Amino acid sequence: MPVTFYIPGPLLAFSGGQCRIEIELSPGTVREALAGLSSICPGILDRILTEQGELREHVNVFVGNEEVRYLKGLATPVPANAEITIVQAVSGGLLPEH
Amino acid sequence: MTGRTLDHYEILTEIGSGGMGTVYRARDQVLHRDVAIKFLSPPMLEKAGGEHLLLEARTASSLSHPNICTIHEVRETSEEFYVVMELIEGRSLNELNTQGGLPNETVLRYGIQIADALAHAHDRSVVHRDLKSSNVMVTTEGRVKVLDFGLAMSLDKGPLDQITRTIVDLGSGSELVGTLSYMAPEILRGETATFQSDIWALGVLLFEMAAGSLPFHGSTGIEVGSAILQQPAPSLPAHVPPGLTAVVQRCLAKESALRFQRAGELRSALEALQSASIASREPQDSHFGLRTIFFRGVNHLAVKNGDVLLIVGTTKGLFLFRASRERKRWDKAGPYFHGHPIYAAAFDDREGRHRLWIANNSFWGTYLQSSDDFGRTWTNPPEAAIKFPADSGASLKNIWQICLGRAEQPDTLYCGVEPAALFQSTDAGESWAMVRGLFDHPHRPRWVPGNGGLCLHTIVPIPKNEQQMLIAISAAGVYRTDDGGRNWQARNSGVRVVHAPEKFPEFGQCVHKIVAHPDRPERMFLQNHWGVYRSDDAGDSWHDVAHGLPSDFGFAMASHPHDPDCVYIVPIESDEFRCTPEGKLRVYRTRNAGASWEPMSRGLPQKNAYETVLRDALTTDSLDPTGVYFGTRSGKLYHSRDEGKTWTELIDGLPQVVFVRAAVLDQLGGPPAGKRIRSDPKRPVRKKASTKSRKSRRER
Repeated sequence: MPVTFYIPGPLLAFSGGQCRIEIELSPGTVREALAGLSSICPGILDRILTEQGELREHVNVFVGNEEVRYLKGLATPVPANAEITIVQAVSGGLLPEH
Repeated sequence: MTGRTLDHYEILTEIGSGGMGTVYRARDQVLHRDVAIKFLSPPMLEKAGGEHLLLEARTASSLSHPNICTIHEVRETSEEFYVVMELIEGRSLNELNTQGGLPNETVLRYGIQIADALAHAHDRSVVHRDLKSSNVMVTTEGRVKVLDFGLAMSLDKGPLDQITRTIVDLGSGSELVGTLSYMAPEILRGETATFQSDIWALGVLLFEMAAGSLPFHGSTGIEVGSAILQQPAPSLPAHVPPGLTAVVQRCLAKESALRFQRAGELRSALEALQSASIASREPQDSHFGLRTIFFRGVNHLAVKNGDVLLIVGTTKGLFLFRASRERKRWDKAGPYFHGHPIYAAAFDDREGRHRLWIANNSFWGTYLQSSDDFGRTWTNPPEAAIKFPADSGASLKNIWQICLGRAEQPDTLYCGVEPAALFQSTDAGESWAMVRGLFDHPHRPRWVPGNGGLCLHTIVPIPKNEQQMLIAISAAGVYRTDDGGRNWQARNSGVRVVHAPEKFPEFGQCVHKIVAHPDRPERMFLQNHWGVYRSDDAGDSWHDVAHGLPSDFGFAMASHPHDPDCVYIVPIESDEFRCTPEGKLRVYRTRNAGASWEPMSRGLPQKNAYETVLRDALTTDSLDPTGVYFGTRSGKLYHSRDEGKTWTELIDGLPQVVFVRAAVLDQLGGPPAGKRIRSDPKRPVRKKASTKSRKSRRER
């Protein structure tokens, strides 16, 4: 069953310029789905997860219309024909001054 | 036909046949060489007219280019029309192109040669008209040869009208369907073939090479034609770099005015991609190796030996400036990485390099990226080079300092990061490791983040002593190792804290900056969160030297390149009102190791100037007289060519300036990276200066 990923502008460099990527995958969880995406878009996983394997603070991942932080995080199950959207959070981003 | 002799050509074997005619291998009995002879089919002759074809063939035969199949001779008899041409041993591109496409570097290599051939023809007003993968041969040596220049079925209005009119009749498998796939929209509308329609065809060809399939599909002519006219070009596969994708998209713009206008432009674009891809290639892995970033629409610097380079990091990107060593007129380049804060950068000119390093911080992580061509192209590593080990439980938040190692360790680099840790590379930045001794320090649980987070922002390797180094962490204070990083001791004796009841604790100081001069490395100066200090014993003890300053609060500090007793600071009124005191923008200088300070304000605004100069936004260059530079939070950049006596505004209106460093480019055009080179003996230095002076600029 295909999983469709929507890739945000800043990460297009890692998806060959494609903002929509459909992959034949049967991932159990969002974490597995992202690993599947990374196998054809090397470099993309590093932008989404920290080196400890956690979702970056200002990166949001949606399964359908639901942000995974409000579900089961990276363990959120991925249904058949899921659409996974990766976006940069609107909040945050202000780094301290010195 | 085989076995026949035409004039002095003996026909040997048939090589291929198509809509235009049949091609034979033949022996030139005069010159004793094999040639290819194309006999045009009677329908072709009828359609285009022998005279017209002869004229075109004559024009095409005037082309002499290594990537164009040479036409030796064109003959017309009462029965036949044939073209004698160079025999090319190899395979056509459509035979080579396998499923999934050719490797990117091959696409670029072939694409450049085809574009060069087109540019040569276009310069002579020859339009190919039928560029397609079966018309491009690749020789056994890997050289591209474009066939049939101008010999294509004459695509002037007459026949073309016929094509568009009868397009519905074209069944699958028709030769014309193949040709149709490369036709530009305007050709399908019946317009005359132009240079831009050749560029469209090359766009289709590039797409085909990269993806392994044509961009516009259809089982019948009408389907193909309709796709060309109406559908956007599909996306290229993920392995195709974005630069090549952009070039293909531009070639495939439906409006010919939006395409590359000259084949030479297209060739240059492909060459730029190729050179960047060569520069960024990792020998062990070409497919998943370093990728490259280009910044379009950005002015780049043209630097030359002897120039001064100014690296300016802001909260919204990197800017570069250059001037000749007189430092009067500055050229600006950037913004690079626009929208991303650049808190740390370095210029590595050791071993003949001229490598810019920056730390690029965004929501998507913090990445070290480098440029060997002054910002034209940058590495874009798939994975962050600096990562906390799994057992640390920590994740990188930011890189606050990139510091070159000692002169005797030309491949060593250090990074100070948040959360507070020190990383080291001993292979010129290829790989990095965390310095465990500092991360595991027993004080760590009691380190408290400053306003800027728990960041290691200052690194001072002691010259000629590989075992000794100081670092500063906000707000943990100064730590020193005397054994190469295994053990670290707090070195804050005499430095006051204002945010705890104990005024002189062992650690917990909010240090903002430390500078040391390589000629006298045991002497150091320290700008604290309240307090300016000097140490004469490599940090064992610190003494207040803030005599006569309007405020001893501040962030930035820079040392003079040739005078160990000279330091520059920019006092800030207080931690609550973080602006220059009295609305006057003043740099203060000591030339007697802090015994007294003098304001340097000539040329700087002395009214309503409520400015802030941040920790790494003040620096000096290594020239004599030294240049002094600083940037403000309000986006102004000032410079002095005379050690701070007079100042000039270099630019106003930048985003918040958080980082300024200067480098004198005195080794350009030297030996390639990896060769040790001597410093320029003609470089003017003061008596006090030595080769060590150059280190001061690097190691600050």
